[in-house]
Amino acid sequence: MVNENLVKDVVKEPYKYGFVTDIETEKIEKGLNEGIIKLISQKKDEPRFLLDFRLKAFKKWQKMKEPDWAALGYKKIDYQDIIYYSAPKQKEKISSLDEVDPKLLETFDKLGIPLTEQKKLTNVAVDAVFDSVSIATTFREELAEHGVIFCSISEAVKNHADLIEKYLGTVVPASDNYFAALNSAVFSDGSFVYIPKGVTCPMDLSSYFRINSGDSGQFERTLIIAEESSSVSYLEGCTAPMFDTNTLHAAVVELIALDDATIKYSTVQNWYAGDEEGIGGIFNFVTKRGKCLGKRSKISWSQVETGSAITWKYPSCLLLGEESVGEFYSVALTNNLQQADTGTKMIHIGPKTKSTIVSKGISAGNSKNSYRGLVKMGTKATGSRNYSQCDSMLIGDQASANTFPYIKSQQPNSEIEHEASTCRISEDQLFYLQSRGIEFEEAVSMMVSGFCRDVFNQLPMEFAAEADKLLALKLEGSVG
Amino acid sequence: MEIIDKIKTNKSIDNQTEIKKICLDKLQSSPLPNPRSEQWRLSNKSKLSNFLDYSVNKNNSKIDIPYPKNSQSTIRLIIGENCQINLIEKNYSIQQLSEDELQKYIKEQISFFNQNENWSDLLNLSLSCQNNILGLKINGSKIPPIEIFSHASSNSLNAKTLIIFLEKNCNVELLQVNLGEDNSSLSQATFFCLEKNSSLNHGVVSYGVNKSNLLNSLNVIQQKNSEYNLGSLHFKFNYARFEIRIKQSEGNAKTNIKGMQITKKDEQISTYTKIDFDGPNGFLDQINKSLADDKSHAIFEGSIIVPKIAQKTDASQLSRNLLLSNLAQIDTKPQLEIIADDVKCKHGATISQLNEEELFYMRTRGITLKEASKLQLSSYFQEIISFIPVSKDRWDLLDKLLNEN
Repeated sequence: MVNENLVKDVVKEPYKYGFVTDIETEKIEKGLNEGIIKLISQKKDEPRFLLDFRLKAFKKWQKMKEPDWAALGYKKIDYQDIIYYSAPKQKEKISSLDEVDPKLLETFDKLGIPLTEQKKLTNVAVDAVFDSVSIATTFREELAEHGVIFCSISEAVKNHADLIEKYLGTVVPASDNYFAALNSAVFSDGSFVYIPKGVTCPMDLSSYFRINSGDSGQFERTLIIAEESSSVSYLEGCTAPMFDTNTLHAAVVELIALDDATIKYSTVQNWYAGDEEGIGGIFNFVTKRGKCLGKRSKISWSQVETGSAITWKYPSCLLLGEESVGEFYSVALTNNLQQADTGTKMIHIGPKTKSTIVSKGISAGNSKNSYRGLVKMGTKATGSRNYSQCDSMLIGDQASANTFPYIKSQQPNSEIEHEASTCRISEDQLFYLQSRGIEFEEAVSMMVSGFCRDVFNQLPMEFAAEADKLLALKLEGSVG
Repeated sequence: MEIIDKIKTNKSIDNQTEIKKICLDKLQSSPLPNPRSEQWRLSNKSKLSNFLDYSVNKNNSKIDIPYPKNSQSTIRLIIGENCQINLIEKNYSIQQLSEDELQKYIKEQISFFNQNENWSDLLNLSLSCQNNILGLKINGSKIPPIEIFSHASSNSLNAKTLIIFLEKNCNVELLQVNLGEDNSSLSQATFFCLEKNSSLNHGVVSYGVNKSNLLNSLNVIQQKNSEYNLGSLHFKFNYARFEIRIKQSEGNAKTNIKGMQITKKDEQISTYTKIDFDGPNGFLDQINKSLADDKSHAIFEGSIIVPKIAQKTDASQLSRNLLLSNLAQIDTKPQLEIIADDVKCKHGATISQLNEEELFYMRTRGITLKEASKLQLSSYFQEIISFIPVSKDRWDLLDKLLNEN
């Protein structure tokens, strides 16, 4: 018989990224109105079209209602009690990393993010976002040699306004949903990636998002454009300090893949999840969507979701181009009083499009973990295929695991397959491993890792190691 | 929608019993279900309003039974026409429920009703009059098979209610046939209570003709060690909705469901199931098949709810769908809500067309495409049809389905 308490101990792990960096920041007053939006736009010295985009989004947001269909319960968010812009004070223009405030570098160093020169050997270009602004982007010159643009979205607005104007809001329109409209109105920073025709990005690109301030929300926006026959692998990581208040994070990610282009987007989300009583933690409401515009284009989402008090996230693919491919690989681990309602949408519009969904949910403690997904075959999606698999693992009898797959087909010449299962840590397997001299804790960890292997196999090298470590950490406790 | 106006004004729905009053009160604040709720989101609004367009008919026209009565041992009842029964035999008894028993049971059920989820039940109970309610309690052994017919007359809305108590240790085979006539709406609500160690093999066959509508709800409570097997078939309705709600109130019960819906022309047929496991060691095996052709729309939504108390539940649900036309559509949503950790739960869903390789193989053996398609369909239908009890030898449902294709 598995000792329930032992398993519970195993899944307890203090949050190690919960420190606050003591740095002088520039904040604007709390609240949200047209004046605040104009102020954000003015601070960022934005062109007129962007201010119009923001104001239009704000008007739409005011008319919208906060969605309540997700299987989530949280106290009402007071949108007027949030600071919509917060940035560490620093010199206007940074020409080299040496000019970045050492405290900031130290922060990212503590988080294990390679910003400083000596760590560049890891060969991953990083854009580090601290509260509302991008601090530094590494490897720029090297990337520029290949024509790759990798910078903060604020810089892109200044230097590549044409691309921003052409693509911003084309995948996730401002009116898409409540949180996307909010983001469109107040987004502060984020990353911009442009891969020119025929270029395979020479290194993995990475964004690291850090919330430092307790009362400001983070609203970043990421836009990735992969031109014909190009390819890129993009990684995203997130952490936040421990506060006993809830911080709002509402991001929008837009991906566009043209003919034969491939975008691989991987996320390890480890925002602060709140304490055991459910106090504090990040409210994570994210809209991520990719548009496979070109023929044979491919967008692949892989995510490891371990943090946040509330997760509301459905990375999706619009499969427009003929023979385009969408993929979604996800591991969501919830513990204590965390709640996650996550999944994907695969909208098959073009012919011969294919999609794969593999979702693994692990719920422990008193948490709630839901998979919610939509697979839709449009009338023109002839010869299209979808395969979905969502498995849940329950640890303890207080956690809940739900599956809500919506499947809709309007095309007879297409195939949809969906399967889902629920299981627990198998006593037999545990007994077997323990009888071979493997400690209880390690055995549980091995089994969870095995349960998630299908997804971890899809993560880039750097992230696979981090994800495995992260899960192991979450599952490492005071046993023995 | 004449009926909704009547409900709103509470006029001319005469002979109000206490139950009717309770249901009317519940409906008055919001007479129609919320079209944005999960249960009604996909339901065709104009078809539902067409359902409610007919005036309520308390009298019943003559019913045309689709197959002959065979052995004398089969008990045949027609709701609204011939439903007075009081059989006390050596081994068994089938008796009418008393007015008090009926009232008590239905009142208890209504207290659990949810406005959107049980809207069809509320409507039924507000409209059905005394001679369209059949309440039975059955006990004993060697009970002969029972057939119960409900039908709607042309140009009217008929509401029929069936309530059956299966007392301890009894086994029953029951076939329920719902027939729709041209331009008619049938509201059928069924309530079963399966006591300890009882078992029910239940078949539901519903079909209409041109422009028939049906709201069919089925509420089953299963006590310990009871077994409920359901085989259902719905076809040829302009608009039909089959709602199945099963509660294993103490766990340790078995439920098997095999259902099928076939839609053509611009029909919409949907099946909603909700299985609640309120105790440990529950078992469910469910398969739902849909076939959509022409411009029709088939919908399946199934939810399985496993709370903390329902440890060792073993539940599986499969939704298999055939989409045969470019203009038809299928929506399916099998869903699991699980809190108990020591459970085996799985679900699956597929949507495809007829298997091309199998068709090709048969054609290389000299079978025409039409014949080959028929063969494939017959195997697809057979799994469900063979699960429908009572009339197997007298009613060739498979033939009826294939020849209407």
